[in-house]
This record gives sequence, structure tokens and C-alpha cells, in this order.
Amino acid sequence: MAVQIKLMSSDQAMLVVDKEVAERSVLIKNMLDDIGEVDEAIPIPNVNEAVLKKVIEWCEHHKGDSPSTNDEESDSRKRSTDIEEWDQKFMQVDQEMLFEIILAANYLDIKPLLDVGCKTVANMIKGKSPEEIRKTFNIQNDFTAEEEEQIRRENEWAEDR
Amino acid sequence: MATNPPNREDLKATWAFLEAGIERIMRDLNSGMDMSTYMNVYTAVHNFCTSQRPIAQPPNLQQSAGVHRGAHLLGEDLYNKLIEYLTKHLTEIKEGSQAHSDEALIEYYINEWERYTVAAKFINHLFRYLNRHWVKREMDEGKKNIYDVYTLHLVRWRLDLFNHVQKHVMAGVLQLIEKERNGQTIETTMVKSIVTSFVSLGLDENDSTKSTLDVYRQFFEMPFLAATSQYYQIESKQFVAENSVVEYMKKAEARLAEEQNRVHLYLHPDITGPLMKTCEKVLIQEHAGLLREEFQILLDNDRQGDLQRMYNLLSRIPDGLDPLRTKFEAHVRRAGLAAVDKIADDGGDNLEPKVYVDALLEVHTQYQGLVLTAFKGEAEFVRSLDNACREFVNRNKVCKSASTKSPELLAKYADSLLRKSAKSAEESDLENKLTAIMTVFKYVEDKDVFQKFYSKMLAKRLVNFTSASDDAETSMIGKLKEACGFEYTNKLQRMFQDMQISKDLNDAYKVWLEDKPQDDSSATAVDFSCQVLGTSFWPLNPPGTPFNIPEVIIKTYSKFVDFYNEKHTGRKLTWLWHLCKGDLKANFCKNAKVPYTFQVSTYQMAILLLFNDRLIISYDDIEKNVALSQEYLVPSLAIFLKAKVLTISPATAKPGPGTTFTLNTDFKSKKIRVNLNMAVRAEQKQEVEETHKTIEEDRKLLMQSAIVRIMKARKVMKHVVLVQETIAQIKSRFTPKIPDIKKCIDILLEKEYLERLDGERLGYLA
Repeated sequence: MAVQIKLMSSDQAMLVVDKEVAERSVLIKNMLDDIGEVDEAIPIPNVNEAVLKKVIEWCEHHKGDSPSTNDEESDSRKRSTDIEEWDQKFMQVDQEMLFEIILAANYLDIKPLLDVGCKTVANMIKGKSPEEIRKTFNIQNDFTAEEEEQIRRENEWAEDR
Repeated sequence: MATNPPNREDLKATWAFLEAGIERIMRDLNSGMDMSTYMNVYTAVHNFCTSQRPIAQPPNLQQSAGVHRGAHLLGEDLYNKLIEYLTKHLTEIKEGSQAHSDEALIEYYINEWERYTVAAKFINHLFRYLNRHWVKREMDEGKKNIYDVYTLHLVRWRLDLFNHVQKHVMAGVLQLIEKERNGQTIETTMVKSIVTSFVSLGLDENDSTKSTLDVYRQFFEMPFLAATSQYYQIESKQFVAENSVVEYMKKAEARLAEEQNRVHLYLHPDITGPLMKTCEKVLIQEHAGLLREEFQILLDNDRQGDLQRMYNLLSRIPDGLDPLRTKFEAHVRRAGLAAVDKIADDGGDNLEPKVYVDALLEVHTQYQGLVLTAFKGEAEFVRSLDNACREFVNRNKVCKSASTKSPELLAKYADSLLRKSAKSAEESDLENKLTAIMTVFKYVEDKDVFQKFYSKMLAKRLVNFTSASDDAETSMIGKLKEACGFEYTNKLQRMFQDMQISKDLNDAYKVWLEDKPQDDSSATAVDFSCQVLGTSFWPLNPPGTPFNIPEVIIKTYSKFVDFYNEKHTGRKLTWLWHLCKGDLKANFCKNAKVPYTFQVSTYQMAILLLFNDRLIISYDDIEKNVALSQEYLVPSLAIFLKAKVLTISPATAKPGPGTTFTLNTDFKSKKIRVNLNMAVRAEQKQEVEETHKTIEEDRKLLMQSAIVRIMKARKVMKHVVLVQETIAQIKSRFTPKIPDIKKCIDILLEKEYLERLDGERLGYLA
């Protein structure tokens, strides 16, 4: 039977997961390596229960993946915004949760999850006008008209016509 | 310390929190680390780096917004604080080190090092967020002197501690190793740990994930090698002064093995090469002269083990062996010459071939054994041995008059082995001896001389049916062929073929004879056989004297000539009477119950047959009847006199004109078969001289054909070059003299095979 690890979310919820699953997080893996296995729950001060559960769900699904990806691989992954089907479904959450997952992945040092999150956001931006992007992410336009014109001119070369 | 992470915006508070955690890891990791501290420190670093706080300086960057790199990554403050902390921490360690020296200092250094690096690994993990973002960005942008947190620990160790204490630490290490060299037992793991630490500090400036051996080489290897060199310099000098060279070699050998082992036990494998080189320089190179002086003494006393030791030592230094080879070569040559001198004095002119060859072989065998065991059969020593052997085989006291003496004696020795004799050697023994002959043969320069003598004696063995074994003959020819090629043994092989053909021919003759009408009995009265041999393959000369064929065999003679001409038209038969022999039944002896059988040469037969008609014949009558010239007639008669078949009058005279010979009817012999066909000594000597003369002739032809061959291929050539090429081609047979080659060129010019062109050049005329 797999060794189990207890995680304590910021809102004091206890979650039990397989060690193998938890070690998708480099932070947890390093800590377990450094300190050794302990009985008490590992405090995760920056992630609440809901998000942590989501992250664990992802880790469960991906526990069989090759644990470390070398640079070349991550490079090709970086360039493509393709997301595998399961991950796409997984990321169909409200925006707030999406950003929480990204932050948690960054904090817990789970690079593949961080990448999937960022790609999802990238896909939300792709092909949209600035106005549409502002709408999507609920951003207030704090540029003056002149500023905006200047930025448009400076970046004209990048327009996708 | 279960307090929660501090306010992410507040550097001071954050650092105070982190410092407490780091300090604990540095100082007190052994008492364990709880999870919440670990997580809180990590979280504090994370939170600080992800805070929305405007970076470092007050927000006066508005104007640079356009050109600024994308997002700002926070972390520089933490990084600098960490450096500050490490410097402070290491300075404390440095101060702590001053209380220790020697072994205690090493121990202190190792303890601190181990504690520090374990902590560094922890802290590296806790600062992983900083590594992943801020440090990575800085390094990607090509900033120098920014390292990941673990590497930073090593860099600071080196700058703030190592640079100050390494000298003292090394002094202790060297002291420790010297103790061990002096025979004491030391804690080798200490040295090993120091080596590991020094190696870890070598960082590749261009890629911090890689390490180099730079630091280790500079601060460990260099002083270590210097100390080693010094130590052995002193030790070896002292040892040499107090001990024999042989003892010193043993010592040096042991020391070298010891140092090799030292690398294995606790040094970095990288040092093997330089360390061995250093030791070899001090232990061998600097005493090489002394060792070499001893070489001759060891050779003289045949100290194989010590010679091997010396070889092993000197083979380790560049050019160490060259002087030995020269000495060895001279020594072997001297030994060979001395051996020959000894037997040359004992044997004088009638030197036994076996004694001579054995003497040569003994020297060769002894020193070949030495080369194989002591010098590991090293190619250069083999060459020196060969050079020396070639010298003393071709130029020694026996060969004083001419270098052709060696091949002559060698061929004679081969003949004595291959000829049927009472003490014929065992098959396998014979084979070994033939192989030994080849050993000497390899060194003989005048291989053509050997060929001449060998074929002469082979011819004799075949014609006289005195060869001991066909297998042995074939084996020897095979060996010669292997050594010198097909051409060299071609004639020898043809001689064997002729013998077989002759056998068949005799059988055919008998059949032919039976078919003929038996006109009279005299043709078959004589039991006859002969060998028909190709003139160009056999080193046999036609008879040197006129000869009247005796009546009794003339019919047989002409019958065979008829038969042969019938079989092969247009061939000329030359009868070599001087090589023929026959048996005569002597019925004249009064006292014999059974008639004696005389084995005689054809010449002797002709003489004795005269006595069938008369009992007393004068020298002049004999001469008139057999027509032999005096130099053949006189020795033949002398043998009869000696064997008392004939008597001479006057009784004390030597055979010659005016003497008279009487058949001795009182002849007595213990044996029924009496061999009167003995080679005359004078004849033998003459033969040797003749052989030498034909050698000279053959050499001229050989040189001329070589010159023509070369010129045919090259068409035009400079005189000097042609001479060199000719030497190169001929060398395998004999060493030609340059004047001889020039003479041959002149002959060819005269015969218009070649022409003289301008500028020392020669041209080929087809």
C-alpha cells in the first residue's frame, strides 16, 4: 500500500493523499527529502482547501507522468498552447479559481500544472482585441486616449492582419 | 518558532524571520527541523518575491517604463541579505579556526565543511522560489557573479573562509601524509574529505552546474606534488648514499607502488598522472645515471631479477632505456665474440661446424631469454639483440678472413645433421636443431654463400643416397623458403624432383631393356642405374679429366644412351664419371673363402679392371689405358696402396711415372665389403675454393640483374641513387660492396644495356 501524507490547508482542512501524488510538488518532495517522513500534517499556509483539492485532483490524474521534464521538452511545451483534453476540462472553472490554481502551482512548484494554467489563460487572450481582453478579465482601461494611440503605433508591427 | 510568515511587504521583518530560520539550520540542524518552520521559511521567501510592492527603490521609474524589461522580479534584497549573513557566519568560522592547528585544524575544517554543506542544501531548497525566478532571470540575462543559492554558499565559503585558511589546512594535510610516508598510521579519511571539499569548490565560471578541478589543482595538487618531490628527493639521496644500487631499485619500486596505492586509497584519481610523473622524476630520472652505471655489472653477473627491476624503472621515464640498449648490444656482441674466440683458439683451422654453431646459439639463447624475461620482449631490445647477433655472427675471429665462413660452417653443420650417420638425431631433436640453424641463418648476411654450400651438399646427399630423412630435408627447405622466398629454394626443390624423375626413368629403362632381343649377355651382366639431373639446377661440374670408359660397361653405357635418345630427342647427356661408383667382386684373393666386394669409384674400377688381364702393370700403361689425368690417377692409386689391394715397386716410391703396380693376391680384410671409394682431402679443399669462386661469379650476375631490373623500371636514374637501390635489393642475399656495383654498372655500359647521360645520370637501353 502506498505511503500516505497529510496536508493541512490554510483554512485548517486536513487532506490525505498518496505520497507519490503529493510529490508532484517539488516543494513537498524536497521537504520530505530534507526532513524525512513525519506523522504530522504538512502545513500549506498559502492554499485553501478548495484550491488544494483541485490541485490534488490534477496531481492524482497526472501521477503517472514522467516526474521531471528536461529543458528541451518544456521548451516545446512552452511554444505550443495545445492542452490535452482532460486538462482542458479540468480548467473549466471560474476565473477566480483558475488564478488560484496558477498561484498555488507556482507556490507548490508544480511546473506542468503551472504551464497548463498559463496556457489556459493564454488561450483566453488569443485572437482578442484589447477591448475584448479587458472585458474578459474585467480590467479597467486606465490609459488616456493619447497614450493608447501611442502604444498602438509602437506595436503596429505586431498586429495580426 | 511556529510563528506565521511575516508581512510580505516588509523586508526587515521578512529577513529577520528568515535569518532566524537559517541560523537554526546552520547551527542546530542535528536537533531536527519541524515542518511548520520549513514551510514558513519557504512561504516567507515566496511571499516576499511575489509581493506587489514596488521594487527596491522609490517609484521613480516611470520614465523607463517603456524600455524596461517585462515584469519585475523581486529577490535581490533577499539575495544580498543572504550574502551578508554568510559572510558574517564564515568569518566566525574563520576566527574559530585560529584556535586550531595541524590535525585539529583539519578536523575543524572538515566538521565545519560538512555542517555547512548540509545546511546549504537545506537553504537551497528553502530559497528555491528565489532560484526559480529571480536568480534564473539574472543568470538568463547574463549577469556574472549571480549563483543559485547552493552554489552561492560554496562561493562564499571559498571567498570568506577557504582563501584564508587553506594554507594552514594544507600544511596539516601534508604533515599527515608525510607521517604516513614515514611509516605511521594516519586517519586517511581526513585527507579524503579535504580532497572532496577542495574539489567541490571548483566552479565553472560559465556554467555553475558544472564543476572544475581548478581549485583542487591549485591548492591541493600543486603543494602536494611539491612536498612529494621534496620528500623523495631527500629520502632517495640519503638512501643511495647508504645502500647499494640494487637495494635502491627495490626501494624505489616499493615507493612507486605505495604512491599508486595512495591515490587509490584517498586521493583524487585525477592526480595519478602528475603524481607518478613527479615520483618518477625524483626517484628514477634523478638517479638514472647511477642506475645505468650498474647495468653493466648486472649484465656481467647475469642478475636477471635486478635487470628486470631496472628495466621496469627506467622504462617509466622518457628515453630511459636508450642507453641500456646501447650497452646491452655491445655486451652481447662482446659475449658472442668471446665465445667464438674461445672455440677458434681450440679448434684452429679444423673447426668443427657443430662446435661453432653451438657457440653462436648458446650466446643467442642466453640473451634472448634475458630479453624475454627481464625486458619483457620489448621490440627495441629485440632489435639490439639482433644487431649484436648479426655483428658477431658475421664478423668474428673465425670469419676474420672472409665473412663467408659463417654461412659455410652453418651449411656444413646442416649437412652433418641431415646426412645419414651412426649417431643420427631423433626426429624431434633434429627438427629443433634445424630450427636453431634458422636462428643463426637469420643473422647471416651472405645468404647466397649458405645457399651455395647447402645446395652443393644437398646434391651430394642425394646423388650418394646419404640423406637421413626426406621429411627432414623437406622441412629444412620449407624453412629456408619461408625465410628467403621461393626463388632462394627453387633449385633445391628441383633437385628433389629430378631424383623422383630419375627413379621413374630407371624403371622405364628396365622395361625397355626386357623388350629388346637379348643379343648378348654383357648388357645385362652389369647391374646398372643412374640419375638424370638438370644441368641448371644442380651444382655439379662435368669431370675435369679425360676418361676411357672400361670395356665391361661400354655396352651398358651405349644401351642407355640409345634408350634416352629414343625417349628425348635433342638432349645432351653428360656423364659425371667422377661421381659414379660401382661394386667389384674380387676373386683373386687366395685366402678368401667368400670373394670380397670392393666398393669403388668408376675411375678406380677402370684401373682395377686392367688387372683382369695382367697382374703387374706399369704406371704409364695404366695412364695410357684409362686416360685419367695425373691429379685423379695418383690419389686413386694411393688408396689401393694404402688398402694393400695393390703393391708398388720400388716399394717406398709414390705413385707416378716409372713405378709399377702389382695386384696383391694375399689381400686380407676383416669385412667382406671393402669401401675403397673415399673422398680425397685435397679434393675437398679444392671444392671449397671452387665454391667460393662460383659465389663471386654469381654475385656479379646477381648485381647485374638487379641493376637491369631497377633501370628497366626507372628508365633514367642518378648513379648514386642506382647504387643505393641496388644495395637495398641485394641486401637480403649478401652485402654488396660499392666498388663491385660500380664495376657491374661499367660492364653493363660496355654491353650497352645502359648509357651515360649528362649530370651523373644513367639511362636504360631496351
